[in-house]
Amino acid sequence: MANYDAIVIGAGHNGLTAAAYLAKAGKKVLVLERRHVLGGAAVTEEIYAGFKYSVCSYVVSLLRPEVIRELDLPNHDLEIIPLDSTFTPMPNGDYLFRSGDHARTRREIARHSATDAEAYEEYGQLMVQMAMAVKPLLAMIPPEPTSWYPGDVFGLARLGNHFRRLGAKLFYDLAKLMTMSSADFLDQWFETDVLKATMSASGIIGTFMGPRSPGTAYVLLHHYMGELDGAFRSWGFAHGGMGTISRVIADAARRHGAEIRSQAPVDQILIRRGRACGVVLASGEEIHAKVIVSGIDPKQTFLKMIDSQCLSPEFKKQVSHFKIRGSSAKVNLSLDALPDFTSMPGAGPHLAGAISISPSIDYIEQAYDEAKYGDFSRRPYMDVILPSVLDPSMAPPGKHVMSIFVQYAPYDLKSGVWPEKREALGDTVVDTLSEYAPNLKDIILHRQVVTPWDLEKEFGLTEGNIFQGELTLDQLFFLRPVAGWAKYRTPIKNLYLCGACTHPGGGVMAASGRLAALEILKDTRFSVL
Amino acid sequence: MANYDAIIIGAGHNGLVAAAYLARAGKKILLLERRSVIGGIAVTEEIFPGYKVPTCAHLAGTFSKKIILELDLDRHGFELLPLSPLLFAPTQDGNGLIIPREFPKAAQEIAKHSKSDADRFQPFCLLLKRLSEFLAKLYEAPLPNKANPNNFHLAKILELAWNFHRLGKREMHELLRIFPMSSADLLNEWFESDLLKAALAGRGMLSSFVGPRQQGTAFNLLHHQLGDSNGALPTAGLVRGGIGTLTEALFAAAKSYGAEIRRATEVTHITTANGVATGIVLESGEEIPAERIVSSADVKHTLLGLVEPTALDPHFLLQVKNIRSRGTVAKVNLALDTLPKFSSNDQAVLGGIIQIGPTLDYLERACDDAKYGRFSQRPFLEITIPTVADPSLAPAGKHVMSVWMQSAPYELREGNWHAERDVLGDAVVRTLEDYAPGFTNTILHRQVLTPLDLEDIYGLTQGHPYHAEMALDQIFFMRPVSGWSTYRTPVNNLYLCGSGTHPGGGITGLPGYYAAREVLKNWRSKK
Repeated sequence: MANYDAIVIGAGHNGLTAAAYLAKAGKKVLVLERRHVLGGAAVTEEIYAGFKYSVCSYVVSLLRPEVIRELDLPNHDLEIIPLDSTFTPMPNGDYLFRSGDHARTRREIARHSATDAEAYEEYGQLMVQMAMAVKPLLAMIPPEPTSWYPGDVFGLARLGNHFRRLGAKLFYDLAKLMTMSSADFLDQWFETDVLKATMSASGIIGTFMGPRSPGTAYVLLHHYMGELDGAFRSWGFAHGGMGTISRVIADAARRHGAEIRSQAPVDQILIRRGRACGVVLASGEEIHAKVIVSGIDPKQTFLKMIDSQCLSPEFKKQVSHFKIRGSSAKVNLSLDALPDFTSMPGAGPHLAGAISISPSIDYIEQAYDEAKYGDFSRRPYMDVILPSVLDPSMAPPGKHVMSIFVQYAPYDLKSGVWPEKREALGDTVVDTLSEYAPNLKDIILHRQVVTPWDLEKEFGLTEGNIFQGELTLDQLFFLRPVAGWAKYRTPIKNLYLCGACTHPGGGVMAASGRLAALEILKDTRFSVL
Repeated sequence: MANYDAIIIGAGHNGLVAAAYLARAGKKILLLERRSVIGGIAVTEEIFPGYKVPTCAHLAGTFSKKIILELDLDRHGFELLPLSPLLFAPTQDGNGLIIPREFPKAAQEIAKHSKSDADRFQPFCLLLKRLSEFLAKLYEAPLPNKANPNNFHLAKILELAWNFHRLGKREMHELLRIFPMSSADLLNEWFESDLLKAALAGRGMLSSFVGPRQQGTAFNLLHHQLGDSNGALPTAGLVRGGIGTLTEALFAAAKSYGAEIRRATEVTHITTANGVATGIVLESGEEIPAERIVSSADVKHTLLGLVEPTALDPHFLLQVKNIRSRGTVAKVNLALDTLPKFSSNDQAVLGGIIQIGPTLDYLERACDDAKYGRFSQRPFLEITIPTVADPSLAPAGKHVMSVWMQSAPYELREGNWHAERDVLGDAVVRTLEDYAPGFTNTILHRQVLTPLDLEDIYGLTQGHPYHAEMALDQIFFMRPVSGWSTYRTPVNNLYLCGSGTHPGGGITGLPGYYAAREVLKNWRSKK
């Protein structure tokens, strides 16, 4: 006796996407969200009256176009404002300003190094080529490399053929990119430290690695993989904040008949005879369904919500080995006026894009070294945007909001605990940024500091990892989340995973949710469901 | 004037292996060695009167068993000596870790640090053993290659797939997962004792640019288990008569097949005509023609230093320049009056590898220093005392100590190596003094080889003992450069056979062996 065809645990963007696809296929779907707002880590919240924060994730780029198309997400609601430029102020008063204007960027880079300006073009072309080569993998169900099943062998052969058809040069370049450190990779191309540092920073976001750590180079591709309005490599800011994206997907799910309940935390997943059959809410309420889809990470799903006897020790060990160390924090500020940067005074186009505090590779590497030994960075890498410059509705007239992504802030501190260190981190961030924009301290009205501990407590991200699991080579593709279970299925029948912990991983892509839903529909095609 | 079938540049262990195999196949071979001693980095030199010192490499346990058998190296005087114990990792509080040869005894010793680690040690070693055995098979497999695009052996691929599946599902998954992992992550999954984790992580660390927390270091761990190993630690490695006996035996084998050698003969140039190598020019100006040139010198030196740049296409040259070979190690060789007294005060623990590097953080910090262009004041040390197993290497009662020190970057941000050489030597001795009080007073002689010295003496570009870093992007079909992993170069008839080629660094002899196989294969197909 099941009331629903499927219950989705967690109304993050992936959970909502999975729900929308299932509902669209005619299933009766219920989404259960612990918090009072929908969206998981893609939310807009008005923490202080009039100031709207994208509390966690703050930019969008990788949202899969097929999700927009297939779910018919309305264009007028989902307005993405391009975020083309990156401004990197330097301690010596100089700066690097790359903008959407091609010729201007070229002149700007040439100001630092003429050869780098040359290389920049060629580099961009190669990265676009490689991004195109990798993209099909994001929409692919990873084949199981240890299996002789025709589907898997065929999948592997198709994968092999895909790489063979790239041609030798691109294949070799890609193999290098997948395994190198971003610093080493960029060293092959450029000589300007600030340029290399700012580019390499995109390779470390959300990871517990530094720019010199092998395995960070391929994340550089993400910057060339975004696809907004068909244009490659554009980052964007969603009108109304990241919550808009979640809201639009939730609306699509509801339109297809899905039911969404907030403030309904799931305590336990019910299992009968090895099959998932329902959930128990914290309130004690039991809800039954034929299929349970978990949008949360495997550690919580398997180690907290499921009776431990239902899983083999081997599988539990695999899950406990899934690495999920958080490394980043978020600081959101309400400002009375715009910040004034020493190296580029006054208002200007540089405030309408990303502002990157990444003056040199050593700067970021040192920030990482401190985190390695259990301390937050004294001088962190920061990715700053001013959403209210792009979308004035985010703050009261004349006021502004500032979103600061901070790295590194390790979940496990060597000394002290995060609730005690929270404000110290906030001070470090403001102090560091003030070195580049001295008026900052005088214009702050409110400050919200979101540490890895807060990400776990408030948003349910275990250890505060923003990708629900580190994106390292040993946790990608057919190894994500654990080897042998990369196809969204789990050892428990009728229980599926659909979060960023599954292939293709983190970022507001909604790809995991989509692929999971498609796999579920495949499994239920011939059943009575 | 003799006409040689092949000239081999450099009489290191790989050059000698290639020479022996080519000579065995009936080719007329000339070996040219820049130094007056043969052996490359596998040499024993009497740098202090009466003391026979492994001045560079000190362990040879990874050397290929197949080569030893086929070239009959035992008959030529080569004998590997067991390490006993396998490892001793002293700590300053005196509770060092000793890992004896036998698993039950090892478990007893490890239990002093952690009960659960003691139970897990043997299963861990067995898993790694299985994985490294598969790795050895993988090294044998043909690689995708630009020089020969039809290098697609379905049979070989199926054989490999078969071998892979024989591992069993669980181990297949483990292999795929562990291969790109960091050694710290791997060891953290298994063990709780930091001392044990550091002791094992240290085995893959030498010459790595990055510390044990970085991805790819678990592969290094597996790579160094080729040869005599219990899975996680080498079980043999010292050589009777010194490590130079290995290369002398190789030379004796090559000579028995008719190979000739000229010592103290530096090659300055490889001559080419129409994209084909035709011979070499010596420092003296003498030209020697040969049908094939096989260089065991490092890839950068060979292609950037010996070949005319116009003979190579610019894209290829760029790839060669981009090979990372940042040296990160220094060598300190000591003559000692007595054995050092580590706080455990038990001299029976000094017959294997001695490691200074008590925690993972310690190892990681040592590697951090190289990133910022300074050498470690608290370095990771891998030490052997060859005279414990073979007292004939030093005057009666005296000892030789060989110390690899990490990190010491080739490029110092401040100062230069000539001025810093003794500062580095002092840092190493001071570190040892902390673990073995009174050690400093037992030193009779000291030789310090900085990365710059390793470059000058042994011809290692930037002082890297593996010629090129063993990082995930510089192995297999990407070693030495993408698409050129079958020992050939864009210059016809010029081959590479040094550590910079597949399967890479360490005293394995495999690059020389596979290179010789490739040269002979091409020779046959040309006829």
